[in-house]
Amino acid sequence: MNSAVQLFPIARTTWLEAIQQPVAFLMAFVSVAITLLVPVFEFHHFGEEGRLARDSGLSCLLLFGLVLAIGTAGRSVAGEIESGTAAAVIGKPVSRFTFVLAKWLGGFGVVAFYAVAQIAALLIAERSSAHFVAEGDYVGDVTDWWGVALGIGGLLLSLAIGAWAHYRWRWRFGVTVFVSLTVSQLAAAALTQVTNHWVAMDFRAVPAALLVLAALAVFSSLATALATRLKSGATFAFCFAVLLLGLSGDALFGDAAAFSWRGLLSGVLPDLQNFWMCDAIAHGGRIGWRYLAEATATALTTCAVFLCLGGWLFSHRDLG
Amino acid sequence: MTTDTVIEIRALRKVFRDFWRRPTVVAVDNLNLTVHRGEVFGLLGPNGSGKSTTIKMLLGLLYPTSGEINLLGAAPTDTAVKARIGYLPELSHLHPFLTPRETLGYYASLFGIPSREAKRRTEQLLRMVDLEAAADRPVGMFSKGMARRVGLAQALINRPELLILDEPTSGLDPIGTREVKDLIRLLAKGGVSILTTSHLLADTEDICDRVAILDRGVLQSEGKIADLLRQPDAVRFQIAGLDEAAAAELRRKLESETGRLVKQDYPALSLESYFLQVVSKGRRADVERFELAPFLLEREEPPHA
Repeated sequence: MNSAVQLFPIARTTWLEAIQQPVAFLMAFVSVAITLLVPVFEFHHFGEEGRLARDSGLSCLLLFGLVLAIGTAGRSVAGEIESGTAAAVIGKPVSRFTFVLAKWLGGFGVVAFYAVAQIAALLIAERSSAHFVAEGDYVGDVTDWWGVALGIGGLLLSLAIGAWAHYRWRWRFGVTVFVSLTVSQLAAAALTQVTNHWVAMDFRAVPAALLVLAALAVFSSLATALATRLKSGATFAFCFAVLLLGLSGDALFGDAAAFSWRGLLSGVLPDLQNFWMCDAIAHGGRIGWRYLAEATATALTTCAVFLCLGGWLFSHRDLG
Repeated sequence: MTTDTVIEIRALRKVFRDFWRRPTVVAVDNLNLTVHRGEVFGLLGPNGSGKSTTIKMLLGLLYPTSGEINLLGAAPTDTAVKARIGYLPELSHLHPFLTPRETLGYYASLFGIPSREAKRRTEQLLRMVDLEAAADRPVGMFSKGMARRVGLAQALINRPELLILDEPTSGLDPIGTREVKDLIRLLAKGGVSILTTSHLLADTEDICDRVAILDRGVLQSEGKIADLLRQPDAVRFQIAGLDEAAAAELRRKLESETGRLVKQDYPALSLESYFLQVVSKGRRADVERFELAPFLLEREEPPHA
């Protein structure tokens, strides 16, 4: 049996099941809404126009993405092991490694789809934030209310589309809203090109967001591996501990000798500072594509290690 | 293992352990079983007797503590062997948001069945389990019996050589139960080997050629149903069209001739047969005319792997 042929259906079903969950839709909805509302309640620039919106958007991507990634892994792996759905699949000619890999692909697919909506909302929010304009007789800060309205309108429209499609064609509400949310935010971001002529869209945040997405891929794989043995609560606790240690790794273990316990921890923990580049793009800074490629390669290697660990853990457990 | 044997279990033992690896329960102990090609084999026993544990070890879901399992000539963890097996779990374990049509398509894709063939089999199986009308409703909205029908259909999507059914009639109404029993007999007639577990002894008696009885993980009895149930020290005659007076006279004569007590009774329908007679009159005429999905009868090509 060709495992590659089985990957897609299992991953697709995992993706569909995950976005059916009200919590997935709520996470995406709240995250995008918070990001779009930043220009409305912006009382400080942080020394740079649009920075508050950009940093908030990236923070939301990391935080909500983490909850989504870990929650999806917990539900689709630990939940299915407990309910017996995993046993029903493993009872077919599906290898346990294929199952773990497909679960990660499906779970990360949900996070990636949410990330597209979040990045689009971030770009809208950054562009719509108050910018200093000196044009004709007007000199002062201008907030692009049209941009905010387009983003929020897209958000509400996705709810309406979900409800209508469910009423008219019995389409699944969660799936329709999740997909429409992403499409509507992309469309709103494109429309701001027409409505806002005084501030150009700043794409410097995109590589920073892609780095956060790479970190989320790592967490998604870690959570998938852990969920083969632990329940959702324990997986959450473990992943957040890794997040905190990973972000503070430099400060805690930076001076550790190579052959010591602290040195070992420093080597094993993913250095999440490499994926959090908010400061690098402040005040006109840019993230090089080479750096992005290297960080992505590091993230994928870490994912492969975690998934191998997950496959090994899953292969050695009873499914009863 | 001969070519006539589809399942061979030798000295199988399963001990469940706690977090600290301390043994908590011996679920199966020194089990020896053989299931032959084309037979319907019943695994019986009370709750906690080790039936489901045995089935899960057969499917490679649980690892035996010791002992040996040979399934269609290979180990249970061999995915190539699993492609030749159909499995219906005790609870159907379906994705609640998928429709029966999507569920069957999903399981067909796990067997690598090409899309066009998967669609053909799906439609035939939906017709067979009488779910055509509900084929596009999410399974989560189904009753237990309807979900069971979907579970049964998914177990057949790969046209299995060996079918493992854990409590196949659980949750089904008498008509559904009768249909599943008919289906099992028809599949066996078509050459499919079947291993089934059940708490319902009457159902097992109707469908199984041989049974094994487990209790607390230990095999208590095994053999052909007819041999196990036969009472060699008694004989029963059945005479049609005899009135009450003639029957009483005949009984008296037999008693005086043999010097033994003769028991006289009148055969009655089972409640199941009576129920089916009544319901099929008012509801569906096809209860007695259950038919296999046509693809299950196609044997010119090897079973799909």
